[in-house]
Amino acid sequence: MRRGKFWKTESGLAFFFLLPACVFLLLFMFYPIVYVILMSFFKVNKLGDLVGFFGFGNFRFMFDRPEFWQIIVRSCVWTALAVAVKTGIGLVIALLLNVDFRGRKVARGLVIIPWASSVPISAMIWQWTYNNDFGLLNHTLRTLRIFGEPPIWLAEPRSAFFANLWVDIWCGIPFMALVFLAGLQAIPQELYEAAEVDGATPFAKFRFVTLPLLSNVLTVATLLSILWTFNDFNVIYVLTGGGPGTSTDILITYIYKYAFQYLRFGPAAAMAVITFVILLTVSILYARSYFKGGGVY
Amino acid sequence: MRRRNLYFVYPLIVFILLVLLFPFFVMVSTALKPLEEVYATPPHWIPRTIRWANFGDIWAKYPMGAYFKNSFIVALGATLVNMAFCIPAAYAVARLRFRSKSFIMYLILVVQMFSPIIVVISLFKIIARLGLLNTLLSLILTNSVFTLTFSIWLLGGYFRNVPKEIEEAALIDGCTRLQAIVRVLLPVAMPGVVTTIIYTFITAWNEFMFALTFIQSMDKRPLTLGLYNFIGRWTVQWQYLMAAALLALLPVVILFFFIERELVHGLAGGAVKG
Repeated sequence: MRRGKFWKTESGLAFFFLLPACVFLLLFMFYPIVYVILMSFFKVNKLGDLVGFFGFGNFRFMFDRPEFWQIIVRSCVWTALAVAVKTGIGLVIALLLNVDFRGRKVARGLVIIPWASSVPISAMIWQWTYNNDFGLLNHTLRTLRIFGEPPIWLAEPRSAFFANLWVDIWCGIPFMALVFLAGLQAIPQELYEAAEVDGATPFAKFRFVTLPLLSNVLTVATLLSILWTFNDFNVIYVLTGGGPGTSTDILITYIYKYAFQYLRFGPAAAMAVITFVILLTVSILYARSYFKGGGVY
Repeated sequence: MRRRNLYFVYPLIVFILLVLLFPFFVMVSTALKPLEEVYATPPHWIPRTIRWANFGDIWAKYPMGAYFKNSFIVALGATLVNMAFCIPAAYAVARLRFRSKSFIMYLILVVQMFSPIIVVISLFKIIARLGLLNTLLSLILTNSVFTLTFSIWLLGGYFRNVPKEIEEAALIDGCTRLQAIVRVLLPVAMPGVVTTIIYTFITAWNEFMFALTFIQSMDKRPLTLGLYNFIGRWTVQWQYLMAAALLALLPVVILFFFIERELVHGLAGGAVKG
């Protein structure tokens, strides 16, 4: 490249190419983040205008409510349970799909469908499925005698929580299964053969070959799953709207409720900032393990 | 693994598929039932009379045409805006050397994970101040912003895998940089471009929260919001909702199969590349 004018150099060109995307992101992603942080330290009226400095007032307002702490605990339980189950079931499915059986490709394709489907629309289908009188889930459970009398899923806080949780898990299983399957297929076959020569049992092969070589994939996928699960707005909003009351709200739906139902933008912004810090921490962990697994760029 | 001891695989796989596809069986079953069978107790799986008319009725009884059109405009608009910003940026991160590049890549990966909920409060104010509340443009803008970082990531990966020599040959032959990108790089990297387009299109098509927040009037609703408003009326006509859901899901589920492998690799990175 010729020297001289700024845009003729490589970094000048890069600057020009990156500028539009950066300006766009600055305007509609970073500026809103800064604005939310600002809001969280101000009194905000019902129209969302800043009307006076409030210091940590919004944060203190939330911290003083026992409900807020319940929701924090519930968000953690929600995330931990869902991610654990998704990882477990995903791993089982991946191990099954890694077996060379007839019809494997079809099975793999069918497993993907819950992920391919639109989450809010899936949640609507599940809402109908959970219907106590006309829904086919409880009908099936009754016919198979799994439950003597299955719960009215969405009507009562505890069962509604698990009903929501299951739909979130159901949406997340395919990604986990596929990512683990890709990880399994990257393990060289020779390692298993070597282990077999050494007389390893199937369990020993899993424990000492599969798991260690899968650990990186496990970390990346688990961190991603934590982010998605913690952020799952659609399932809860569509299925129960956080109800009955606020009994199935997690942090992310509670923020939305505070802002757009109660019109209390200040406390909502404070919770958004807390969420932002949590997500930022997990995202950085994710980015780190992503680059560790064979850095690109 | 070799073909042996396969007897345990089939029952397990069948069981897993029955569980995973359960709601879709429900959807198809309900979408084909007449009203009195939808509200029969106890419910049954196989409709006694199949009512195909459900699929016709929804177009007359609900503004399905408008929902589909709005979803299409939003998804297409978001894709175009996204690609306009994404292609040059992806080229820069894949091909050009500049200072603090690794930091920018790191930033892109981190930002990609932010939840729209964090910013929806302030974005609502910004959209209102721009006079864009209750417009499809507000959804085009927000959807393209929130898909941009991952698109750059995805497309950048493709550009990097195209041999540099092809472009250099074009430059030597007298192409300008721009011509080399448009005429040489983009055609070669077309699978990547298509993947990125499909990814953005699907994400915008499935988006719900921004539509819920920014759109008020019936005729501006995209599919997800339109279908959500089937519920919450006094009586829900579930057979219509399920028929509409089936139609709304079909195009994106099919498109998704073209990109699932790329998504897995883009999200999990070197960890699954072996």
